[in-house]
Amino acid sequence: MPLEYFLALAAILFVIGAYGVLTKRNAIVVLMSIELMLNAANINFVAFSSFYNDVKGQIFALFSIAVAAAEVAVGLAILLALSKARDTINLDEINLLRW
Amino acid sequence: MQAIEFAWLIPIFPLIAGLIIGLIGSRLKEGGGYVAIAGSAISLIITAFVVAQVLDGSFDAADGVIDGVFEQSRSWLILSDTYSFEVGIYIDQLTALMLVVVSLVSTLVIIYSIAYMGEEGGRKRRYYTEISLFVGVMLGLVLANNYLELFIFWELVGLCSYLLIGFWYHKPSAASAAKKAFIVTRVGDIMFMVGLIILFTTFKTLNFRELFEMEVSGSDLGLLTIGTFMIFGGAIGKSAQFPLHDWLPDAMEGPTTVSALIHAATMVKAGVYLVARSFPLFVQTPDTLMVVAIIGGVTAFMAATMALNNPNIKRVLAYSTISQLGYMMLALGAGGYLFYYMHGAEGYTASMFHLMNHAFFKALLFLCAGSVIHAVNTEDMRLMGGLGKKMKITSFTMLIGALSISGIPPFSGFWSKDEVLATVFEACELNWVFALLYILGIATAFMTAFYMFRLWFMTFAGEEGEASSHAHESPKIMTIPLILLALLAAGSFLVLFVGGGFGSQIFFEEPHALTASEILAVTFTDPLTYLSIAVALCGVGMAYATYYKRTISPEIFVSTKARRTLYNILLNRYGFAVGYNAFAEKVVYGFAIVVDAFDRYVIDGIVNGVAFLLTRAGHYIRKIQTGYVQLYATIIIAAISVIIVLLYLIGGLR
Repeated sequence: MPLEYFLALAAILFVIGAYGVLTKRNAIVVLMSIELMLNAANINFVAFSSFYNDVKGQIFALFSIAVAAAEVAVGLAILLALSKARDTINLDEINLLRW
Repeated sequence: MQAIEFAWLIPIFPLIAGLIIGLIGSRLKEGGGYVAIAGSAISLIITAFVVAQVLDGSFDAADGVIDGVFEQSRSWLILSDTYSFEVGIYIDQLTALMLVVVSLVSTLVIIYSIAYMGEEGGRKRRYYTEISLFVGVMLGLVLANNYLELFIFWELVGLCSYLLIGFWYHKPSAASAAKKAFIVTRVGDIMFMVGLIILFTTFKTLNFRELFEMEVSGSDLGLLTIGTFMIFGGAIGKSAQFPLHDWLPDAMEGPTTVSALIHAATMVKAGVYLVARSFPLFVQTPDTLMVVAIIGGVTAFMAATMALNNPNIKRVLAYSTISQLGYMMLALGAGGYLFYYMHGAEGYTASMFHLMNHAFFKALLFLCAGSVIHAVNTEDMRLMGGLGKKMKITSFTMLIGALSISGIPPFSGFWSKDEVLATVFEACELNWVFALLYILGIATAFMTAFYMFRLWFMTFAGEEGEASSHAHESPKIMTIPLILLALLAAGSFLVLFVGGGFGSQIFFEEPHALTASEILAVTFTDPLTYLSIAVALCGVGMAYATYYKRTISPEIFVSTKARRTLYNILLNRYGFAVGYNAFAEKVVYGFAIVVDAFDRYVIDGIVNGVAFLLTRAGHYIRKIQTGYVQLYATIIIAAISVIIVLLYLIGGLR
């Protein structure tokens, strides 16, 4: 199977993820979309690793999965704290960085 | 070791004396007066050795003598390999002359001060500190070997004169006179500074020898003309030349001894010295020389007219100083002009000769006036009169001074004034302007004789005035300097006949040595000599008839309306004092208002406008910061996408 198929799949997944991150109101859905983007990157890593017979890509994919797990743990904790404090996880209502 | 190698000590001693008096003067006798005398006298002694060496020729064998000039110097401010300033001393005949004049006259004046300032109490310490500094910095000015060093001392001389003119600063008139002297001379100093900057940027040095040896031509000559003109501007301020002369009569608010020092040896002589020192530069620029001569001639004439009817004894002398300084400038200008057209350097010699003689007789006149003021407690001559019987020494010495300045032979003033006029007359051949200046000079000679004898007759002759009744002769410590100065005022012309003559010692580039009989023959075969003598005698005679015999009533001068107007114009100094104020009020203040408005509205407007724009812009731009993370992410992704597309299009990704 040619490399391009994997890259196309990764690109499609990435764009879906990016779309989710940019448009969804629900913070949990945004986190899930970020996972999609990370997995798109992982597919690229693994595809290139297999294509070039180089194990480094797979190692990076493992790193990235570990970091993504950690990130989700932290992200969910923040959302939990947020919903306790503000009683919402709607991103439109969270604009603390505003002037 | 030779005496001349210690010449750098000459200004040091008065400065040290000033320091000592300033620190512990109140514990010394006479407020440190004797220390001041010692400082000045030591300078005089070293000067005597140095000058003896310059005169007897053994000077040429000393280390550091090049082309008849002794120079010692150290690098001081090194700006780069080619630009540097130095500090050093420069001794030639002119320096030697000035050293003698300054240290001799100053020593006598300070000795005289012991009695004259004897009743000042605690203020004496300040007086002697300042006067020692004054003498020290003037000697430093004379010895400087480059323009920057000279300029530093020049400013210090200005400072000392400011302090001394304002000695009685609790009097508003003295405080404002000091301020006026400082500010008016500062106008000249700024021109001087501009001149120095022009010289330095054009010729890359301010050392006298290096400047004098410059080969100048082409566009540099134009710059040199502007430079020398600006330097002359400094001399105009310092030597109280027209139109910056008005501070000098006001400076009479200081003690009389200070006036004597300022007029005879220090402050105002610095200006003439500056032009004489820069003579090798000036003689390359006939335009500047013409200006020098015209300013000198006009000053001499104008100042003399203002002395004609002034009732204040010191102010008459002040105008007479301005007038005589004008003579010196006139001689330098005319002499330089002659030199430019290869006619020899008599003008330079004449000017320096007159400077020396003037130093002696003007110091004498001022100290005599001081003695009179000391006795009668007023400066108004109308209240004096008949002092001759009570103050024999003062009246006699002052008579010698008056004869000398009036140009009556054989007193020394005659010889130098005659040389000045002869130089100007010789220059008539070259340019008709000098003919006018010669007429001004002759008229000045007449007026000088008239006002000096008016002063003498009003003060010493006739009936006793209101203030004269309790007058008595001054103490010996005052009369002895008077007698010494009277001897000098009468006899300083003898240097014409000693050795190779004055001309062989003070010369510029070529000696002009005549034997005694030649000098006498040249002087007394010239009809012009008799003209100037006759004019002087007329002046004396007219003063005699008016103020002694009263065959001409002085009131005749104010009998008609026109004469009365003229009288008042002269008394009001041609309105110069008022004019300065009007100038300051209208022009300078007006300019300041414009500048202030410019600052307020334009400069501040720009600054505030920029700040206002930025705050307004910030006000709008902050709306971009919505605080929605998703919007920021959208912008980042959109931007990165655009960048990637652009890179792809221009081929940066390949």
